[in-house]
Amino acid sequence: MIAAIVAYAFRWSIIPSAIGELGHGVKVTLILSGISTVLSLALGLVVALCRMSGLRLLRYGAYVYIQVFRALSLYIYVLWIYFGIAAGIGVNFSPLTAGVIALTVLNSAYMAEIYRSALDAVDPGQREAALSLGFGRRHRFFTIVFPQGFRVAFPSLVNQLVDIVKDSSIIAIIGTTDLMGVTNQLVSYYRAPFELYTLVGFFYLTIVLVISGAAALVERRLNRHVH
Amino acid sequence: MSIDAGPTGASTPATYGSPAVGNEIVRGERLNKWFHRGRAHELHVLEDVDVSVSRGEVLVVIGPSGSGKSTLLRCLNFLAPPDTGTVTFLGETLSAERLPRLSIQARLDYERRLRHFRTQMGMVFQHFHLFPHMTVLDNVAAAPVRVLRMSKPEARERAAAELGRVGMSGKTKAYPSQLSGGQKQRVAIARALAMKPQLMLFDEVTSALDPELIGGILDEMRKLAESGMTMIVVTHEMGFAREVGDRLVFMDEGRIVEQGHAREVLAAPENPRTQAFLRAIL
Repeated sequence: MIAAIVAYAFRWSIIPSAIGELGHGVKVTLILSGISTVLSLALGLVVALCRMSGLRLLRYGAYVYIQVFRALSLYIYVLWIYFGIAAGIGVNFSPLTAGVIALTVLNSAYMAEIYRSALDAVDPGQREAALSLGFGRRHRFFTIVFPQGFRVAFPSLVNQLVDIVKDSSIIAIIGTTDLMGVTNQLVSYYRAPFELYTLVGFFYLTIVLVISGAAALVERRLNRHVH
Repeated sequence: MSIDAGPTGASTPATYGSPAVGNEIVRGERLNKWFHRGRAHELHVLEDVDVSVSRGEVLVVIGPSGSGKSTLLRCLNFLAPPDTGTVTFLGETLSAERLPRLSIQARLDYERRLRHFRTQMGMVFQHFHLFPHMTVLDNVAAAPVRVLRMSKPEARERAAAELGRVGMSGKTKAYPSQLSGGQKQRVAIARALAMKPQLMLFDEVTSALDPELIGGILDEMRKLAESGMTMIVVTHEMGFAREVGDRLVFMDEGRIVEQGHAREVLAAPENPRTQAFLRAIL
């Protein structure tokens, strides 16, 4: 084994020729993560509202949704949606669609819990003030409660976005041409796993750092007037 | 359904109907409220309370903490719906009793009536409850825009006028976190007044303020009373109760124990519990 390591010849020179492919992979990863994030932000809010609803049926339904989709790993969902559903009921999703669905159901369950605790944290007096002014349900939520809850939820939602970007690499197992998928192909072509996996690590790191930096700016702006 | 914008426009001087005490504007009848009803630690916080206020009148509610004063206010605007009893406000009677649980139509109708109720009944809270994510101006303009469906410029004009009335013209662009307690409470009063309510409920609005700020808020309330606004004021400020209150009720353990002209009750309380309370705080 030591001999094998010693015998490994580093070929960093292949990197320039791999960059173009990796750039395409970055694009796919960003699209995959972006769509999944938007969908899970929306779906997560709906699930959170059901979880907090006065109607027992909605409450329990949301509870089951959250428990089920948080319980299993993304790996299982991806395979189940892409291969399982195709074999079982004959619905064939493209790898990208299957990836978006898997990332969305898993992350919406986490986001639902983030929303719920954030909305719970909004001072009940805010709701009362809105009620006393005659606000209806919709305006009470969207004008008063949600903007305040969202500020509380924001940092955790950004963490979830970062998770989505990182987890999207798992989707490569069903053959997407995302950053990880492209890297796997390049590795089998160039036979330079150390160089390419190191490089892809830096790519993911960069994406995550950019997201975190941007989120910090947005967060500061959101909270500029609020204690 | 059109919502009456009230007797005064934003630009006219501050008068709210005739200062003379007139016909009845709100009446709560046999109001009962329990917390944790049906459980071992059940608490009967409001017990068969009857209360009514006439137009232009200032009713002061006093009593020890936990006596049900705040709950009474919150029952009148259904922030805490009374478990039994009715509230009649501006000729319309509302009750949370026997509300059909499963009829969506009945629930929606109830909520619509409640909203209409509340648009005419302003409330100011002990802890202000300003909206922290909005400027002072938007705090005041939000409900006229969202609830009364006024245009934004019109609502802002009205908001600016109400803020001017409480001496907050210079802070319209500030956020609540940049204000002192007294300033916050002024904005909260302006926010309630911007709906042109027929009745104002004040729930211990000076209790969370630093002592030096209390006088300013009481002055605003006094001005409002002088302009003819009908008010129900829960307070521990006996000086204010004596000078501004027309009528006073003393509550203890969820019941109205004594009521009458504010000056008379404060000067010569008849009930032993009122006497003990006033002795303790004066």
